[in-house]
Amino acid sequence: MSVTGEGGWYPLMLSADLAPDTTAGSTMLGRDLAVWRDGQGQAHVWDDRCPHRGMRLSLGFVREGALACLYHGWRFGADGRCVHIPAHPDLSPPGTIRAAPLRVAERWGLIWAAAADEGGALPEDDPALAAVSWVPVRSLRIEAPWQGVAGAIGLPEGELAAVLDRDVDGRVLAALLPVGEGACMLHLLAAELAEVARLHDLADWGQDVRARAEERAGQVFLAGAVA
Amino acid sequence: MSALVLYDDELDEDCYRVRLFLSLLGVEARRVVVDVVPGGEQDSAAFRAVSPAGVLPVLRMDGQAVCGAQAVLLALAHGRAEWLPEGAADFARVVHWVQFAGGPLRAALLMRRASLFAGVGDEQSARRRAAVAALRIVEDHLAHRWLDGGQWVVGEGPTVADIALFPTVALCRDWGEEHSAYPALRRWVRAVRALPGFVTMPGIPDYG
Ligand code: FES
Repeated sequence: MSVTGEGGWYPLMLSADLAPDTTAGSTMLGRDLAVWRDGQGQAHVWDDRCPHRGMRLSLGFVREGALACLYHGWRFGADGRCVHIPAHPDLSPPGTIRAAPLRVAERWGLIWAAAADEGGALPEDDPALAAVSWVPVRSLRIEAPWQGVAGAIGLPEGELAAVLDRDVDGRVLAALLPVGEGACMLHLLAAELAEVARLHDLADWGQDVRARAEERAGQVFLAGAVA
Repeated sequence: MSALVLYDDELDEDCYRVRLFLSLLGVEARRVVVDVVPGGEQDSAAFRAVSPAGVLPVLRMDGQAVCGAQAVLLALAHGRAEWLPEGAADFARVVHWVQFAGGPLRAALLMRRASLFAGVGDEQSARRRAAVAALRIVEDHLAHRWLDGGQWVVGEGPTVADIALFPTVALCRDWGEEHSAYPALRRWVRAVRALPGFVTMPGIPDYG
């Protein structure tokens, strides 16, 4: 499945968290990404930099099947090419003005992006994963090194996603996105037909994982009165 | 209701809480602008005569000056059961979150003020951790609500609790917290933005 390093695939977010015609941000090993879904349901992942002035595309919005930058309204189609410049509506923009798309795949309820243009395809035939339909539970940001979290939840060495042996109607799919040195996103999904109470248990378990990982990393987040 | 008067500062998120709610309700108020930065007008004798503790926003309604965002929101919501449920259990839930917005979540408001107006870059400060922890409490709540099929903080539709919480959540990018770290909040922000009568303030993107 997903392997870190060259040619690896990274689980950016739950498919359910990207509605059609919306944009979101993500960060993969310090690389900022704009993630968006067009009206046909296709997900796109680009570097989070507008070809115009380098502003963040993830703050933009989807219009007429294209991603519109919030700043000056330039629009970019599914292949990343600029299709519309509001200040020059009659101009057909040169093909060289282009956002930088990454390879993207949607599997097992998750949106994946490839760190490199070449390299491993995302296998579709992992029997443990493909046999089940996965119900999204939630994602949590954890401010601790991802390696420690991967070890704590029992991901096999070199993997960023695995079916865990946890008691939520048998199966839990956990996927980990390394955001940077000291932060990651943990995505949790349950095997279909899990009772709602079990989904709540799994979400709570995610909170426990977060609290323990951050405590080990010396990061304690406590709400309360502050000056 | 006699004519409403709102003492308002455009850049203040507490004032935005009230402007947003008035707009969602379709209620007009005459605006009196209070120049806080750089004017310091909240400390002027004239304003202190209206709001003795210098608190913004103030809504003058029926001869009473109601001071502070949480108080104004509740005063406006009174008698509108869709925004402030009458049943004891849901009423309790709503005022719980209104209080949270004016309590622990203030850490986030203070982080924003510090980074916008004082240029303080204290990423790992105790204040940032308290602010993140408060955002997470809302995030965790909404993640659980979503598992039950709920989209809003309390009940089946938006309440004054959503409006009390919204500005601080929507503006957290101003102090360096990305919405990508809070998927449940992101989903909910989109739902609030889609409400008829929604208005933005500087710092909250307007998609036009
Ligand atoms: S920076 Fe994106 S349109 Fe100008």
